[in-house]
Amino acid sequence: MEYLILAIGDVFGGTTLLWVAVGVTLGYVLGAIPGLGKAIGVAVSIPLTFYLEPVSALGLLIGIAKGSAAGSAVSAILLNTPGEPSSAPTAFDGYPLARQGKAQKALKMGLFASVIGDFVSTITLILLAAPLARYALLIGPVELCAILVFSLVFIGGLSGNSLTKGLIAACFGIFFATVGLETETFVPRLTFGYLELEDGISLVPMAIGMLAVAEMIVQAGNLDTLDRETAELRDSSDPRDRRVTREEWRRCAPVIARGTFIGAAIGILPGLGASVGSFLSYGETRRVSATPEKYGTGMIEGVAAAESADNAVVPSSLIPLFALGIPGSVIAAILIAAFILHGLTPGPLMFQQQPRMVAGLYVSMLCASAILLVIGLLGQRLFSQIVHVPLRLVIPGVLLFCCVGSYMETGSIFSIFIMLGFALIGFVARKLDFSFVTFLIGFVIGPKLELSFRQSLQLLKHDASNLLGHPIALVFLFAALVFVVMSGRSSVTRRVQMPPTTQQH
Amino acid sequence: MKRANAISGIILCVFSLVMLAFVIPGQISTGPSGMMSPRLVPQMTMIGIFGLSLLLVLGSLRGGEDDHPPPFSRKELLALLRISAVFAVAIALYEIFGALIGASSLVIFGLLALGERRPLVILTLTVVLLTGLWALFYKVLGTAIL
Repeated sequence: MEYLILAIGDVFGGTTLLWVAVGVTLGYVLGAIPGLGKAIGVAVSIPLTFYLEPVSALGLLIGIAKGSAAGSAVSAILLNTPGEPSSAPTAFDGYPLARQGKAQKALKMGLFASVIGDFVSTITLILLAAPLARYALLIGPVELCAILVFSLVFIGGLSGNSLTKGLIAACFGIFFATVGLETETFVPRLTFGYLELEDGISLVPMAIGMLAVAEMIVQAGNLDTLDRETAELRDSSDPRDRRVTREEWRRCAPVIARGTFIGAAIGILPGLGASVGSFLSYGETRRVSATPEKYGTGMIEGVAAAESADNAVVPSSLIPLFALGIPGSVIAAILIAAFILHGLTPGPLMFQQQPRMVAGLYVSMLCASAILLVIGLLGQRLFSQIVHVPLRLVIPGVLLFCCVGSYMETGSIFSIFIMLGFALIGFVARKLDFSFVTFLIGFVIGPKLELSFRQSLQLLKHDASNLLGHPIALVFLFAALVFVVMSGRSSVTRRVQMPPTTQQH
Repeated sequence: MKRANAISGIILCVFSLVMLAFVIPGQISTGPSGMMSPRLVPQMTMIGIFGLSLLLVLGSLRGGEDDHPPPFSRKELLALLRISAVFAVAIALYEIFGALIGASSLVIFGLLALGERRPLVILTLTVVLLTGLWALFYKVLGTAIL
């Protein structure tokens, strides 16, 4: 508690609040542009934070993540093109509302639901992360190795349509994490004689390439469709369509509460992500509704359900990162790089080693929720104009920022080559449905997995039967196995049940 | 997608075998005796990729016809080529003339490659982006990019 009071002074006394506001604004703008999501925004912005105070830097990045999660509703509602996949259910009812001339109403409800979901989920993070971390300190290398294997299998199975492809992506992520000097023997691995690779492949250019550049290439291939939808957009001039009525608030309050709970719960589980949260919340709201048939035609509850869950996922997805040091989402994986860069190593020990910084981060996150509401209300009309900017004018600017961001990481053009290499891998992975989320998480936890694996081999004396002395590890390994078997069976059942024309991959 | 899965599975099988047979032994020494080999984890990941890719190929051979559109559309492949060409030109100009010309060419050729033809828009956007970058790093953040 004393650290929280000190942190309030830190955040309000310096420039931190300003940087959080900059982050939220930047995130809102990035989120409003189709194709630019929170992961891209955070990855590209990490180099900007090199010269900021740690709490300001992390506040800026978390502000971008929060702002972008809320901003993605703008393009979903106005263009029927979600800023990121998790806003797709927002478009189901948001876009019909916009077509009825009620865009401002839908945008406002989306903002309110986003802020409530985000704020409550941040409180959940604050209340749960530290107690969970105390238990995490009891975990040894064997248990940690088993938990990491389970997390990768779980994430691999849920972040794409195919467990096999997800696991291939995870293996590739771990493989690329082994590049560079090996930490125990200092033997160079897969450096091909390049000195730049001896420290390993840097996460920032890799993430920028896989997320931002690859996405820009995909967007560049679909310019005509997006530009046509932008040109057809018309604003309503009816003042009644610009506010949320008391009756609508009464109907949406339980929906927002349910969405927030679903989003926060989904965020805690590694790998499920914001898309699962928003779809689940939307589906559940529709299921319990007295008029489910009206969903998809412009129900304001649909917007509230999707947006509250979407935004509740962001803070709670940091719980496994803070408590266990395991990134449960792509945004958490990218944030690890920023946290370490600013002297905060995510994991159970950070609550003991850096309590003031953690408290500063919590206060920044709570402030970001309030700033999100203010900036959203003040700038919503302005931000909604952003979707009118043709993407062909946006993409070159994003590519320039990607290059600057990658270059700044090492001060060498080699980083740009790394970025371009992984952009190509990211493009192919997107098109062939290999989960780049699992790839990035595999890359981030790769060194930890290798270290705990080495330690486990020594502790178990290279004898698998010694695992019987580690019941927690056995439970997680068994759970991973059960998940693989169940995923395999459900995939076979899906193949048998679905006619060829509707089969999903 | 089945055809794409089969092709990508075969490519990954061959890739992992090449890595296991040639690249990993050639690029990673065995390390000191008595310690875990530095090759172990890279080899394990490649064995995993080989096995899973084989599953992918076998899975794509089962079932009915493949009536899904090809994963790569012509427009997306063209966009990939265009943006690759823009980066190639920008990096070459950066190496010859320096950062300002390299960055300007990335924006200008990027706009041209994406279909923008209005000279005023191209010029204005280039100037605004580069000035904005300079102001952000040199004035707001107080640091040099180069």
